[in-house]
Amino acid sequence: MTGLCLLAAGQAHAAGDVAAGKEKAEICTPCHGEQTVPDTANVPALAGQNNNYLQWQLIYFREGRRKNEVMSPLAQDLTDKDVRNLGAYFASLPRPPAPTKDLADASLIETGKKAIAGHGCAACHTDTFEGAGAAPAITRQHHDYLIKALTDYRENARPSTGVGAMNDAAASLTDSDIKAIAAYLETYK
Amino acid sequence: MRTSSLACCGALVSSLLMAGALPAYAQLKHYDSDTPSFWKHPPADWFLGDETQAQKGLAPIAQPATPADPADIENNLKKIKLPPGFKIELYASGMPEARQMAWGDDGTLFVGSFGATNVYAVKDEDGKRTVKTILKGLNMPTGVAFENGSLYVVAIDKLLRYDKAEANLDKMPEPVVVYDDMPPYTSHGWKYLADDHKGAFYIPFGPPFNIGIPPTSNAQIRRVNYTNGLAELVAEGVRNSVGGDVDPRSGDYWFTENARDWLSDDTPSDKLNHLAKFGEHFGYPYCHQGDIPDPKFAMGHKCDEFTPPAVKLGAHVAPLGMKFYTGMMFPPEYTDNILIAEHGSWNRHNVQGGRIERVITDPDGKNARQEVFADGWITGPREYWGRPDDIIQMKDGSILVSDDFAGAVYRISYSGS
Repeated sequence: MTGLCLLAAGQAHAAGDVAAGKEKAEICTPCHGEQTVPDTANVPALAGQNNNYLQWQLIYFREGRRKNEVMSPLAQDLTDKDVRNLGAYFASLPRPPAPTKDLADASLIETGKKAIAGHGCAACHTDTFEGAGAAPAITRQHHDYLIKALTDYRENARPSTGVGAMNDAAASLTDSDIKAIAAYLETYK
Repeated sequence: MRTSSLACCGALVSSLLMAGALPAYAQLKHYDSDTPSFWKHPPADWFLGDETQAQKGLAPIAQPATPADPADIENNLKKIKLPPGFKIELYASGMPEARQMAWGDDGTLFVGSFGATNVYAVKDEDGKRTVKTILKGLNMPTGVAFENGSLYVVAIDKLLRYDKAEANLDKMPEPVVVYDDMPPYTSHGWKYLADDHKGAFYIPFGPPFNIGIPPTSNAQIRRVNYTNGLAELVAEGVRNSVGGDVDPRSGDYWFTENARDWLSDDTPSDKLNHLAKFGEHFGYPYCHQGDIPDPKFAMGHKCDEFTPPAVKLGAHVAPLGMKFYTGMMFPPEYTDNILIAEHGSWNRHNVQGGRIERVITDPDGKNARQEVFADGWITGPREYWGRPDDIIQMKDGSILVSDDFAGAVYRISYSGS
């Protein structure tokens, strides 16, 4: 039944143009990488990310609801069409490869696994954490980025999409929960 | 007003579970709602709770990040089916997550929004319409109303008043907080403003979860005087209501209500309720659709203790904004009928709703019947091209329909030909 999630984006809108998105994305890849998880802390991998989620983040940057010194100015001139094209392009790429070695210690990863189960993350992000619609894929990201994302949600420094989900989901997380969840997701295969 | 001890119920449920005497379906998730933090931040899975394996993965339908292009909307409107003689057209677009609508005295259409944080103003000058975002950064400003020259906006826990709004669309004045005795959570905390024509709004307060024992501050409707900010509790046992209107014949308040989730695809039915006298209890969380005791929370209550719905609208149709029709344009048999914008399902395997329903009823709720008025926003088992959420009448008797999925407003008119 998890497959149903994959249908959950807004279909009857004009689909984005992948080729136009690729052209527009030239400025993105130096930081975000093309097919790999960026080495730079706090920069997410975008390849194979969910189209609807990507579009929402660009809209949030453009509208000033999510702030970043690099992304906020870059998003200012994007049209709705640009946003749809960029979402379509990055979503069309394969996801970065799974990690080949464990990056964190086993007990931390186990703690993260339990925290994830306890917070019901799979309800939106699916059992394999590939996400669907506005819920992003949350594996194959640098742990520093995951820590920043969860902390920002907890502090209401970036907005949830839809029914307040992530700000509420992260509200009760402790710093050590977040560290463990990031370790689990970064090494998830 | 916000705290209440739930120790009794938690203990009761725990002891029943320990006894092992309940059938499997009743051994549902229990929230520890005894702490203030629960009410400040409802649990992350507040909209879930007890879904079965077969229901797993029925996550909320993702809202498009951008409003639909007008050309796509025009094309999609060809799919809408209406009774003979009626016509639908695009009225205004480019309004992300457009929700409740209200008319200003000088013909400005004010439109609230869901997550977009905006309030919009649509101006019509000789048929040429412009859309302006007049307010930004509000917390789910879903409900709007216009009274005595002021725009009222309800944003989760604040009822705000913007004086001389229509003359200041380019630079809205600082708002006056009219009423803020409301819980701060957003889950089912988005609201609707229904004018009672006597100086007050009916305002719904939804519980921050699918099902549970609500604290004293929610699962209710209050009548809030918009001049002095004084409030009365007029209805209890109401889950998530985001629409209502006063019957021009009786002055009674009627309202839509979204029933609990995860019982099944076909139960319980969402409701149209009639508040015949203040203080009525509509059943939540003990009884659903007037005749289904909750498998866990009935706790010995019988359905006949509560006010049943005037009309069962169907399971997961998600009735939101509604209006009594009082115009002269539609055929006479539409007079005093109720038109309801149904947003449609999110966690039904095959979504339904996503349409406008017509209810014909006596003022006391007798002889109520319903039929589909406008249909065609659903494009697949779990796909929409748009989702209606509110209705307002125009001076000429046509109606406007807002759609938060496409970020647009449509006009439905009748010519008879």
